[in-house]
Amino acid sequence: MRRTIYQHDANAKHEGAPRLAWVRGLLAVGACVAVASIGSSCNLDPVHRASVNGLGPEEADLYPVESEYHRPGEPCALCHSTKGPADSVFVLGGTVFWGPDDYNARVDNAYVRILDANKTKRCFVTNCNGNFYVRKEDFSKITFPLLVSVERTVKPGQDESTLVIRRMSSHIGREASCATCHIQGLRDFASPGQIRMFNSEQEFKDKNIPLIDCPPPEDFVQVQKCPEDVN
Amino acid sequence: MFALTSRSALLLGIAVLGGMGALVTGSTSCASPPDNKRYTEILQPDYATYRTYVDPYLQRRCGTLDCHGQPGRAYRIYGFAGFRLYNVDAGLVSGQQPTTEDEVLANYQAAVALEPEEMSRLMATQGAEPNKLLLLRKPLKLERHKGGPAMSEDDAGYRCVVAWLRIRTVRPTADGLDFETIPEQEREQLPVLARQRCEEAQSFP
Ligand code: HEC
Ligand code: HEC
Repeated sequence: MRRTIYQHDANAKHEGAPRLAWVRGLLAVGACVAVASIGSSCNLDPVHRASVNGLGPEEADLYPVESEYHRPGEPCALCHSTKGPADSVFVLGGTVFWGPDDYNARVDNAYVRILDANKTKRCFVTNCNGNFYVRKEDFSKITFPLLVSVERTVKPGQDESTLVIRRMSSHIGREASCATCHIQGLRDFASPGQIRMFNSEQEFKDKNIPLIDCPPPEDFVQVQKCPEDVN
Repeated sequence: MFALTSRSALLLGIAVLGGMGALVTGSTSCASPPDNKRYTEILQPDYATYRTYVDPYLQRRCGTLDCHGQPGRAYRIYGFAGFRLYNVDAGLVSGQQPTTEDEVLANYQAAVALEPEEMSRLMATQGAEPNKLLLLRKPLKLERHKGGPAMSEDDAGYRCVVAWLRIRTVRPTADGLDFETIPEQEREQLPVLARQRCEEAQSFP
């Protein structure tokens, strides 16, 4: 599983390329073995198939499998593409985390705002597992490159004043999965790390923001639309 | 002993190779020995202008991690918000430390080394027919480009790059038989309008 192999130690010094080459090599070997033994994806593109298999199987103890809550932090559109294995095709998808390192602290009801090259603005809301996704039919004219920001308000749906907002300064050139660049558990020369609202886990803890179970308890309010889209 | 045998086998191999080498050189002695001091100089575009005006645009427009900020690209771009140049001491992380001088230089070299002969031709003719350069043919989509059209002839970014390529960096030598590099302090500056275009292009999209 990718995130266990990529387990990131926040205090460890950056060791640079040799270690990564090793890890990546191992990953590739792992992926090949997975292909050979499971052969789960029937796509004929070996690179695609290896990447999909490299993500490993669903983990039923962590999330309801094959649901909108599944595989947080993973590159959604790798599978949710015309190449499969998922049937639904996403033009964008990703996961928002509270801090830079903790995989288990994810942001519910975050507003992910997109400004595309045609200056079309759209906003999407994350679910209790921090996931958001955009189906092809929901943004069919999406035109890259895109600018993106993520906001979390104080009490989404009720108090919409900003708790924290972060804007990506660079743009997305062509990639549909946030996690292809924002590799979970890996901050290095080719990845800025998981999408985060705070720069340190401590900063997040100090705010005493409650974490939501997922699937959520009954009293949880899942916001469906960003404030600007509510009439 | 194994170690010994394998070593002597190696020695034997070298001896055989040496013998063959001697044979080959002996029989082809009419070929002149290669001159390792000889090289073809690339006529290069202006670095100072590239660094200040062009690189910020190319980084932003082309250098994201999903495009040219990737080790798989022949034209590879490094920088703050993308791929970082490997450096043991600096430990550069995507999105953390500002772009370094080494990275800008690597970007410049990548742009020049993409088609060194074509770049030399362009410099020798003071930027005439810039669209022959792969660096522009691809984003203009005059040629297949995985990233689709990324520039058009009427956008600020394209004009910024072309204005940079027009800066004269070489002149004919006194005898007219060769080119010499114009010292940096004697070079013309990027015109004001072109500078504005470069700045405008950086705010993309
Ligand atoms: C390893 C491949 C893979 C990855 C990665 C992946 N999914 Fe899925 N997902 C599937 C498959 C297979 C299904 C089963 C249903 C289908 O075929 O569409 C599914 C089902 C779903 C469904 C329910 C079906 C639907 O279309 O409503 C949603 C929603 C979903 N995934 C969202 C996500 C999101 C969000 C991410 C990223 C955080 C993600 N998936 C990452 C393979 C994947
Ligand atoms: C092409 C690679 C790439 C993709 C795809 C990508 N990002 Fe980023 N992102 C970056 C890089 C590099 C940075 C750090 C530099 C910067 O801010 O531009 C970053 C930074 C960010 C930041 C933090 C800015 C800050 O305050 O430090 C947020 C928030 C963000 N991205 C959200 C997203 C979301 C949401 C998606 C998916 C819709 C996404 N990104 C997809 C490369 C990418």
